[in-house]
Amino acid sequence: MKKNLVTRSLIFQVAVFFLLGVLTTGAITYITQHIRSNNTVNQQTESFAAKISDEVRLSMQEYPAYEWLMQHWISHSKDLEIEYDVEYGQNTKTEEKCRILEERHPGIQLKYLTTEALEEMSPEDQKLYAEIAYSWMITRVNQIKRCYKMNFLFCVLTDRECTTQFFLFSAADPGAKRGTNYEEVYTLGTRVEVAQSQQEAMLAAIENHAHLADAGSYEDYYALLSILNDHPILIGLTYSVEELRGQISANTWRGTTYAAVLQVVLSAICLTLIFYFVLLPLNRVGHNIQIFRQTKDGETVSKNLESIRTHNEIGVLATDVGDLAKELSDHINRIETITAERERIVTELNLAARIQAAMLPSVFPAFPDRSEFDIYASMDPARDIGGDFYDYYLIDDDHLAIVIADVSGKGIPAALFMMASQILLANNANAGKSPAQILADTNNSICSHNREEMFVTVWIGILEISTGKLTAANAGHEYPVLRKANGSFELFKDKHGFVIGGMEGIRYKEYELQLDPGDKLFLYTDGLPEATNADEKMFGTDRMLVALNRSPDSAPERILASVRRAVNFFVKDAEQFDDLTMFCLEYKGKNPKEE
Amino acid sequence: MLHIEKAVENGTAVFKLEGRLDTVTAPEFESELINTLDGAENLVLDFERLDYISSAGLRVLLTTQKKMQQKGTMKLLHVCDAILDIFEVTGFTSILNIE
Repeated sequence: MKKNLVTRSLIFQVAVFFLLGVLTTGAITYITQHIRSNNTVNQQTESFAAKISDEVRLSMQEYPAYEWLMQHWISHSKDLEIEYDVEYGQNTKTEEKCRILEERHPGIQLKYLTTEALEEMSPEDQKLYAEIAYSWMITRVNQIKRCYKMNFLFCVLTDRECTTQFFLFSAADPGAKRGTNYEEVYTLGTRVEVAQSQQEAMLAAIENHAHLADAGSYEDYYALLSILNDHPILIGLTYSVEELRGQISANTWRGTTYAAVLQVVLSAICLTLIFYFVLLPLNRVGHNIQIFRQTKDGETVSKNLESIRTHNEIGVLATDVGDLAKELSDHINRIETITAERERIVTELNLAARIQAAMLPSVFPAFPDRSEFDIYASMDPARDIGGDFYDYYLIDDDHLAIVIADVSGKGIPAALFMMASQILLANNANAGKSPAQILADTNNSICSHNREEMFVTVWIGILEISTGKLTAANAGHEYPVLRKANGSFELFKDKHGFVIGGMEGIRYKEYELQLDPGDKLFLYTDGLPEATNADEKMFGTDRMLVALNRSPDSAPERILASVRRAVNFFVKDAEQFDDLTMFCLEYKGKNPKEE
Repeated sequence: MLHIEKAVENGTAVFKLEGRLDTVTAPEFESELINTLDGAENLVLDFERLDYISSAGLRVLLTTQKKMQQKGTMKLLHVCDAILDIFEVTGFTSILNIE
């Protein structure tokens, strides 16, 4: 038996599906987190930068005279002697300058000098104050840069087109080298060409008051501080976002990993549930189907499947398969019974056919010790059991009875009817009755018990062997064929009575024929003329006579064989529905030896 | 093999047969007759297109003839020569009403 094996388990397919799901959602989670992180970085950076630039601006604006100061720093940038990183309390130059000014202007509040107070001072004192304020300012900006870990923090004066920039402040860590060269921290008044990318950012900042430019791991931010004589003053700052991005990236990875792990765990739980609640029961159903295929025991299989007590689709399937198995095994049992029954019937039919065949005399030569006549007969049933029969027997030493008959219908009913008819005819013949009387008596016997309205056509003849006188009667049977010695076979249109079994009280007429030595009598049933070929044409009596006359002098056996060949040639492979029975008698007359 | 056309009018059933009435088709014809004849007094069988009748067909005719004799008539119309020969040989001409 073919065993259907599971070569690719469902659990494997579902697992692959889950894995793909985990990968897909993982990727989507990572991408969305990444986009959100980027946005966060940008937002944070921008607000951070805005706060720093605000702080720088507020530090400036603490000085009431900050506009005068800026004006002074710009116009006297070359003359000012500036200390770029003041270490307070260390007797620095700036502290010295403060003392000088305080001595010259007792009670002065250096931080809160107004423009008016400054205007009244001597140019020397104004220069001193500008130097002091610048040093304080740059020190403050340096501190801011350090506090916020900026890469660059500067303040520039530029033109409307932002082609050149004039450095006001550039914050630096303590000890940094200051100067006007590219690698140095620019001093006050350093004039530098603006690079193109920087120029765009600066123009945007002038227009929008602030602008953030993302340069990968760096962020550049410009904010407009004020506009001095149509020259914009910008605060610029640059700082690294690498660390921030690294943190966010790590968070993103962590979040994604958590989500993925959670999904894997859920998938595993799902797979386990599927395995226990779907696959195991399904496997059991499959296993029981295999068992059923081997044992055909529906009762056991149904009982096995009852233990799958779920009320879901699987449970219903298991119950249905169990019921199906039970019905199937019932059905198989029924078929086995029917088959056994049929086999018994076939056996009985074969036996019946053999009994029927044995009823027909079939040993030839029929009467080896009688030389006055020769007989040959054959019966080919269309089915296993036929309704045709022939018979011949000696009633006494000088009288031979010959019968050929055809029962209406086919099969077992016809065979039973045939047996009854044959025995009744033989009994009446052996009682010494004449052919007409035999038929009449047989008819009456059959009619009295014939509920099924069956009938039989019979030709019966009694030959007086010594004289060749044949007395015959015909109850609805085919015309006999007669061949006078040296003549040809011809139909003998005898008088017909009604079939036997059709109606009670029928009288039959009989007639006499004189057979001379060499004469032949050929009898047949309608299966011969009505043998039909594939074109629905019948063999007919004309073809029958032609076949008979092909070798009219042959012995009866050869004549029958010749007719049979002619019929076979005519019908070819077409199936025949009627029995075919033939009988031939050759009268030879008295044995010359006995005379 | 056998085509049966039937009509019942005023207690007369008319059957038109076409084809062969043999072992294979006779049971069908017989059951058609049984179904129809309960309500009919007279029966007309039109054999114009019937080509062949076997002993099984003759049996049906005999049964039907006996049944119809008790309550009415049975007539056969347009019987062809081949079938007439069969009726002659089997003696059915003496019991059937052939027109």
